[in-house]
Amino acid sequence: MTALLQIAARSAWNRRGTLALVVLSIALATALLIGLERLRNDIRGSFTQSVSGTDLIVGARTGPVQLMLYAVFRVGGATNNISMDGVRAVAAHRAVAWTVPIALGDSHRGHPVLGTTAGYFEHFAYGDRQPLVLAQGRAFSGTLDGLYEAVLGAEVAQRLGYRLGQRITLTHGLRAAGGDAGGELAAEHADKPFTVVGVLARTGTPVDRTVHVSLQAIEAIHLDWAGGAPLPGVSIAAEHARKFSLEPRQVTAALVGLKNRVAVFNVQRFVAEYEAEPLLAVLPGVALDELWAAVGLGERALLAMSGLVALVSLASLVAVVLAGLNERRRELAVLRAVGAGPRHVLALLAAEGALVTLSGAMLGAAAAAGAVLAAGPWVQQRFGITLQATAPTVEQWALFGAVLLAGMLASLVPGWRAYRLSLADGLTPRT
Amino acid sequence: MTRVFLSLAVLLGLAGTATAQAPAGVPAMKPPLAAPGAAGVAAKPGEPRTITWEALVPADWDPFKDFKGIDFQMLDDGDPRANEWLKKMRQAWDDAPVNPALVGQVVRIPGFVVPLEDSKEGLKEFLLVPYFGACIHSPPPPANQIIHVLPNPPVKGVRSMDTVWISGKLTTGKTDTYMGASSYRIEATQVAPYKEPAR
Repeated sequence: MTALLQIAARSAWNRRGTLALVVLSIALATALLIGLERLRNDIRGSFTQSVSGTDLIVGARTGPVQLMLYAVFRVGGATNNISMDGVRAVAAHRAVAWTVPIALGDSHRGHPVLGTTAGYFEHFAYGDRQPLVLAQGRAFSGTLDGLYEAVLGAEVAQRLGYRLGQRITLTHGLRAAGGDAGGELAAEHADKPFTVVGVLARTGTPVDRTVHVSLQAIEAIHLDWAGGAPLPGVSIAAEHARKFSLEPRQVTAALVGLKNRVAVFNVQRFVAEYEAEPLLAVLPGVALDELWAAVGLGERALLAMSGLVALVSLASLVAVVLAGLNERRRELAVLRAVGAGPRHVLALLAAEGALVTLSGAMLGAAAAAGAVLAAGPWVQQRFGITLQATAPTVEQWALFGAVLLAGMLASLVPGWRAYRLSLADGLTPRT
Repeated sequence: MTRVFLSLAVLLGLAGTATAQAPAGVPAMKPPLAAPGAAGVAAKPGEPRTITWEALVPADWDPFKDFKGIDFQMLDDGDPRANEWLKKMRQAWDDAPVNPALVGQVVRIPGFVVPLEDSKEGLKEFLLVPYFGACIHSPPPPANQIIHVLPNPPVKGVRSMDTVWISGKLTTGKTDTYMGASSYRIEATQVAPYKEPAR
């Protein structure tokens, strides 16, 4: 058997040019399959990691997925605001341990601004109940003296090069990242600059892309605004804003934590039946699953497509080996003449196919791992998806195995053909 | 008003069936997710006992007791008492007690998953409920028809509203909280997909 493998290896080396191409195409297909699986896994991971320890998210009545998208992922806009009275009513429910109101809608150079309370830094958690950690500085104080204080997500600070003490201005409304359209387009709250007092440690969640300020600050910067525009002739200086009532009357949504998670349906029902205004409460886990079910179709299509790519490259393996049979007629016939049986010829060709597939699949897996390592930071920064260069998952092993198995099966086709070729056929010269 | 009236009737109807089925292990009707053998079948030693959701209701619990002597037939449309009683009924369901006879036992029970805490290793916390859509429909199931499950190790590949068998020791949650006395909790050692029993 060893001798046969050696012969297979040497024969393959003789035709290395063609076979290298096949190895390359199998490697690309494997890399695509494994890379996609990694991406799929990690996107799902990023999704489920983005919120933890929050039992309900309360917002204006819309779809659960929509509420989840704008309250947690800052994707899309809120359909409506909810009143602080509603949030207080939920907070007063006997099963509720804490509520953290959040107000969205403003931005800073494409990064969403989140107005919230100091409780956000205490209660909001991600991943496996990991709390937010300040890498530098402190959280905003939430008092009137610290009205214009901002805490940056890790990515905001890194991308814009901000440090503690940096003065920033917020923009009314949302603007796509990188779209620094300039003074004409931007509705800046330039009269009330904020000071960066803290930078959060990286979380790999949408928090990294967010600028956090207090709810009162959100009220303050909109004091001299009415009907969606600055009131003409009215300007309230930053210092004077403190004299007005800055109690928020409306927020975008609220995160709710319960004393006992078993009560979650009761609180959800309480919120749904709240009579003063239409509210919606979603369980983050359920909404995430719904979201994933909606995204899952495209995801499966991607996987099917990379499966097809793998199929095509295996077909090319069969084609190359089959085409090679013609020129190898003599070689095989010589083997037969020195005593190799048809079984040996079959084994020879099967071994060659297996070797080619194995090296291709290994090369592909290595390439996928390399790509994850190389592109990881870029993907994290650009899309907020943390790619993990960890040991292969069960699914990845399964895909790897499937490629190997398919390759071996495919190489049986030329093997079978060679098996059927008679000795005389190879030795009879044709013109 | 008709809606309130209907809900009241539904709640009371539920209460009726619960009391009728009250003796643990002797379900009056086939539950939506019944074990192939009926509840209360004596398990082999060392093996978890397969129970049904009815068994989780204590035999002597009567949600009806505060409503004795009230003739609901005489309620007119718009009667303010209807709403009040409805709220009281809801309260009774929210405070539904656990069955002390089952606490501490190793049990096996099927149900639907409502995910709570997902991590990289898999689902770490979920609620097990007896019927599909228990979190969306009204009214929510009573306190003793929800089990807080903490699988160990975390389970992978289980999504919202998947049906599973869980087995583990049935305990009660923290006592000082919302759900009246206490609520069920299982630190499940095993979570397996549920398969429809052969009929």
